[in-house]
Amino acid sequence: MKNISKILCAAGLAVLASCQLKDVDNPNITDESFVGTTQSSSIWLNGMYRQLALTLNEVVSFTEITSDNYYNNSSLSNKVFDFPTILYSDLDVDNMQRAIGRLTQMADYGLTRIVPADVTTTKDINAEINFLGGYACLLSGELYNALPLTAAGQVASANECFQKAVAYFNAAIALQTDAAKKNGYTLALARAYYGMANRTNALQAAQTIIANAPMLLVEAKFDGINGVSNTMQTYTFSSSTNTYAPLPRLDFLDPKYYHVGTANADQKSIAILKGEEAYLIAAEAMIGSGQLDNARTTLKQLISTVVNNRPTASINGSQAQRKGNRSDYPLLASVQVKFDANSPARPGFILGRQAGNITVRRVSGTSVMAADLDAATTEDALLYQLCLMRQEIFMSEGRRMTDLGIRFPISQVEMQNNPNVKAEQTQAVIPSYIPGNLGMDNFGYDRTAGIVTMNFDMNRVLVQNKKAAGVLPMLK
Amino acid sequence: MRIANTVTIFLLLLVASQAFAQQKLQGTVTDQVRQKGLSGVSVQISGTQAGTVTDINGRFSFNVPTAAASKTLTIVFTAVGYQPQERKIEPSQQSASLDIILEEDLVKLDEVVVTGQGMSVSKRRLSTNVTSISEAQLRDLPANRIDQLLQSQIPNAQFKMSAGQAGATSIVQTRGFNSAFSNSTPIVYVDGVRVDNLNTAPALGMTLSGGISQGASTSALSDIPVENIEKIEFINGGAATTLYGSDAANGVLQIFTKKRGSGKANFRAGVDLGLETPTNDFLYFNRTKDLLFENGGYRKYSIGADGGNNDFGFSMAAAYSKSDGVLIHNQNQVEKIDFRTGFHAKLLDQLTYESSFTYNNQNLRRTRNGNSGGYSGLWFAEDGASKITGPGFNPKLDSLSDADFAKVKAFVDSAEMLMNNTSKVNRFQTSQVLKLQPLKNLVFKGTFGVDYRTQTEVSVVSNAFNRHIRSNTTGSLSKYDRNYLGLTLELTGQYDATVGDFSFLTTGGAQLFRNQDHQIAYIGQDIRDGALTVNQAATRTSNEYLAEVVNSGLFLQENVGYKNRYYLDLGVRGDNNSAFGKLIGTQYYPKFGVSYILSAEPFFQKWQQNFIKTVKVRANYGVAGIFPTPFANERTIAFTGFNGGQSATFGQPGNEELKPEKSYSKEIGLDLGLWNSRVSLTVNYFDNETRDALFVVPPAASTGQTNTLKNIGLITNKGWEFSAVVSVLENKDWDVRVRASANTVDNLVVSTGGAPSFNLNGMTSRTVQTVVKEGFPVGYISGNYGVFKDGVLESYTPQQFLGSTIPTLTGSAGLNVRYKNLSMFANADYQQGGYLHNWDKQFRINYGASTDGVPAAEIAKNGATNWLNYSQLFVEKSDFIKIRTVGLVYNFDKKIIGKHIKQMSVGITAVNPLNFTASSSDPEAVMAGGAQGQGSATTGGLNYAAFSMPRQFIGTLKINF
Repeated sequence: MKNISKILCAAGLAVLASCQLKDVDNPNITDESFVGTTQSSSIWLNGMYRQLALTLNEVVSFTEITSDNYYNNSSLSNKVFDFPTILYSDLDVDNMQRAIGRLTQMADYGLTRIVPADVTTTKDINAEINFLGGYACLLSGELYNALPLTAAGQVASANECFQKAVAYFNAAIALQTDAAKKNGYTLALARAYYGMANRTNALQAAQTIIANAPMLLVEAKFDGINGVSNTMQTYTFSSSTNTYAPLPRLDFLDPKYYHVGTANADQKSIAILKGEEAYLIAAEAMIGSGQLDNARTTLKQLISTVVNNRPTASINGSQAQRKGNRSDYPLLASVQVKFDANSPARPGFILGRQAGNITVRRVSGTSVMAADLDAATTEDALLYQLCLMRQEIFMSEGRRMTDLGIRFPISQVEMQNNPNVKAEQTQAVIPSYIPGNLGMDNFGYDRTAGIVTMNFDMNRVLVQNKKAAGVLPMLK
Repeated sequence: MRIANTVTIFLLLLVASQAFAQQKLQGTVTDQVRQKGLSGVSVQISGTQAGTVTDINGRFSFNVPTAAASKTLTIVFTAVGYQPQERKIEPSQQSASLDIILEEDLVKLDEVVVTGQGMSVSKRRLSTNVTSISEAQLRDLPANRIDQLLQSQIPNAQFKMSAGQAGATSIVQTRGFNSAFSNSTPIVYVDGVRVDNLNTAPALGMTLSGGISQGASTSALSDIPVENIEKIEFINGGAATTLYGSDAANGVLQIFTKKRGSGKANFRAGVDLGLETPTNDFLYFNRTKDLLFENGGYRKYSIGADGGNNDFGFSMAAAYSKSDGVLIHNQNQVEKIDFRTGFHAKLLDQLTYESSFTYNNQNLRRTRNGNSGGYSGLWFAEDGASKITGPGFNPKLDSLSDADFAKVKAFVDSAEMLMNNTSKVNRFQTSQVLKLQPLKNLVFKGTFGVDYRTQTEVSVVSNAFNRHIRSNTTGSLSKYDRNYLGLTLELTGQYDATVGDFSFLTTGGAQLFRNQDHQIAYIGQDIRDGALTVNQAATRTSNEYLAEVVNSGLFLQENVGYKNRYYLDLGVRGDNNSAFGKLIGTQYYPKFGVSYILSAEPFFQKWQQNFIKTVKVRANYGVAGIFPTPFANERTIAFTGFNGGQSATFGQPGNEELKPEKSYSKEIGLDLGLWNSRVSLTVNYFDNETRDALFVVPPAASTGQTNTLKNIGLITNKGWEFSAVVSVLENKDWDVRVRASANTVDNLVVSTGGAPSFNLNGMTSRTVQTVVKEGFPVGYISGNYGVFKDGVLESYTPQQFLGSTIPTLTGSAGLNVRYKNLSMFANADYQQGGYLHNWDKQFRINYGASTDGVPAAEIAKNGATNWLNYSQLFVEKSDFIKIRTVGLVYNFDKKIIGKHIKQMSVGITAVNPLNFTASSSDPEAVMAGGAQGQGSATTGGLNYAAFSMPRQFIGTLKINF
């Protein structure tokens, strides 16, 4: 019995010991414990910068292949946006919408929960959160015809998205104390008004930038060391399979982003607002008002004042051998390019990447020269040069798809969770003038003659369809 | 220290005091048919802890405790697969030698089992099915992994090796798939201690950014040593696993290790030597085998010893094995060191102590496969990616000239040589058990145990490799540590009472387990080739993930018997778990069962016939659960560094109502012993319903939130299970035995609670995925379905049902033949009714490596442009019959081996010799993980650049001395 008592004592101690093992500590931080802490709004703002980079990774990489700029020449990334086939069920459609939605919701949460509770916040932080919220709305208006701007809420039209963006940008301008940042917000305003086809306000804001900050450059920064690499850089430069291949007539603008040394440590920024856009908006507004000479002058200034002064770099691009689904991309500088079957063959568009270092344009580049603009005497001819300049200057920045009039649908997951979404809003907008079945990316290559011919010159197609909805808003 | 010394001396004195003035009981246990001594038979005095086991020749001897010497004793002889025997010994007979003859028992009605019962229960009393596998059944199989060892051995569980990569995970199917959240692997206990079965996916980059698990998910089952196993028990999820509560819906597999031998030390040694050769049956290009594969060697050296008396016993085993693998440059090499010991000690008359310690060290190499990107051997060769990799080649390997093929071969040889991916596991397990029997009818068992597993994966991507595959990224060194610590504490009591015709078996207990999963990534970028520590890199990054969960449960079970033939089984377990949401309290798991042994009725026993000897009917209802992901219940803010500062964003959305998904199981069963008990037949019908199934569901995209874990699904599995063992011939010289099983399952996702469909594995929804959707089976193949007109694609519909990955019929078969000293065995598995998607075949279209499977008119008109739009053309039936093992073993006669050697056998086994499949790709070799899968549930079914298990031809020599 003595032994039994000892054993029972030991068992009792074991039970007591095991009770001490019952608790676990969550190593993560809950939202209740974060809101109201010092520096919470600046940390949140940094999180929004990060989310901006993540959002651009979705937007830029998907819209560049949806447009004629790039063809996905590998099995990585999306294989159907190129056609373009954009189904609401496509996971990437949801990924892109979710990334934009997260930036939108972070702005809302930041302004309603975090900023009011943080005694260490500043007006500048508040302004930047407003600006990023506005930028999310701007992307929403540009990429979608309709999109919920609140969590599982009412569906806003593109115009309503732009309106909300304008409200955010105006709030940001009112709060911001740094003049350079204010200029960025003003250009963002110009872009929102451009989307709304508000020629007067767009022109006014654009001219403010032309006058005050022509070399303006607002960029989204990446951080490869912390897992936020620039996807476009990966797909156009770092990836061993050279994932994306540019349309041969844009070959000279590829890549815009590159690394030297360790890829993770050298992730290039993406321009989200740059002075060039003010000139392009102003020129388009002038063409819309019939002021062709002013428009021509503005575009010539753009080349001489801004584009020619943007930095270039000399890099080794020899790994881009364009071997993938298509291996017939021209690789020699001697190859001439015809924009379509009826265009003349022109040299200078293909870079001889195996022959030595190539020159890349970090911010902007264009093949259009002053002489081309002087030769464009009709509205359509000038409009064509404008469209080409927009395409070339915004290369690899995710803008071309919108310029082509293509819009993404609301995702299937959104529809299944949000009763406000109508079936027609889950259909992509692909205008009838967009050639399907990879037509925009297609070309023929006559190796003997050394001439590569695009199937379609989409800028010519755009000019022919300048009255269509969703394109060239300053003409409306 | 002084206290420890005092305790030690006290224990030694106790042991020593027991050794004086005691009567010695001795004898021999022999097999009725073979008339040879039976080793490992448990010999115990009923109602006490006193006993021993028989030695290699069937002999036993032990001291009768002083207190029992003057009483009539009941000695119980038990061995897995034999009918237990009780022998009453009068005090006067205690000095005589006992000759016990045990009879094999195919029906195993009176076998004592532990798993799922809290403590020992005779199968007779149970309403559920327990499969037990004896050491003898496993002894001759040369498999070096527990899951491979169990292939074809458990009638209603299918173990499929998901890939031939070293250490790759297996996919286990028992009664369908209960969960779309958790891996279907049963939980595993070793000697009552819950061990890591790695049924959660790694949270860090091990599967995503170049970690070698990307090639094939790593299994913690592959490093549980197979040495020194006494028996294995398996129970299906449901009423059988109710007492395991929130963790056991997929069943429980329990391994019992040897704790003692008999008499002086017995030693054993074994050598396995063999050849490994690649399974090339499923390669598309004949030349792929010349590019990637070669034969390899296999060797395993093992030693062991056991011995003991009734006061103290020990058993130890150690093994070293090395498999070269079948890939060039030994890229699939595995090296293992296993060590296991077991001890048994009688501390007091009423108190015994048992412990086991296990150590495993495993080093393996992995090649890149599937989605590793850049270059991977099978993708390069079989999928046509040679077209775009390195300098670029003509992907039609078999059409190349010898000179061109030599260039491809040189490229591949260098690429394979330059790969350097390794995984190291160090694993330590221990189980400590104290058993107290204060009264004859009352037993307490306290179990404490630890499983500590550290895994380090290293992936070296050298500058030379990157240059070779035409990548301009710098060299990198990625290391991932995954450390698992599991603690188990259990206290169980059992009271056995008899009142008239009624017998009561009351079991109650408490269990606590605590798991910690700690993952660390440390990655160096821009590093010189040959530098193998991260500190030498130009840039260094790290990451960490920590999950902890504690589950505490109380259980109570009452088993009531009447007249030894009517049984009622009632039980309940209540669980608290740290992963449950705030609003969720204790979760209860009830069970109820009845069993009736018709053949124990007096009228039946009087019935003079030999055809039907045993009839048992049983029915049960029970609940078992799977607990949710630790910490998923809390709403959090996520932090990470960004451009030199902290950054915050929405973390997980949290769920205060998170609770376990529960599998409600109904089962009826019939156990028959026929033809003078030479045929055993078991039939079960089960109907399982997983309520509150955990789905990781995406909220509306406009919320910007990540996926949320919610209890919203309903999954059902229904089916029949048949298993039979037939002893065709049985005499002193001959023993011919056949076993076979057939299991059907009808799996259905009845409801997703309004959530949209989501994928388990695969690529994106535009391509091919395995998907969970209301009205379909879990993990069906979803992809684009193309409609052709005159052989040309006219239209296609996305995300269509292309076939279920879950086979509707699975089973196994085995044949054992013995003629005198020569034994032969063969084991096979089969399945029918499932489908797979041959992604390799589809990829070949994309890269122009082949046009097989696509109408010629479509290729002529559109080339490969539509390659993703007719995925149904690449869906194939996954039916197979696979012969897992065929072996011959010869046991030498005593007169040949002499007196110094007790037993010697030689054998030869062919592993995976024959495959008969309906598909052109290996139905088992599936794409590992998947970039977008949730949790780690998988049903397989996507075949993408995965290696098949190799064939092995292994010669074995075993000696006991």
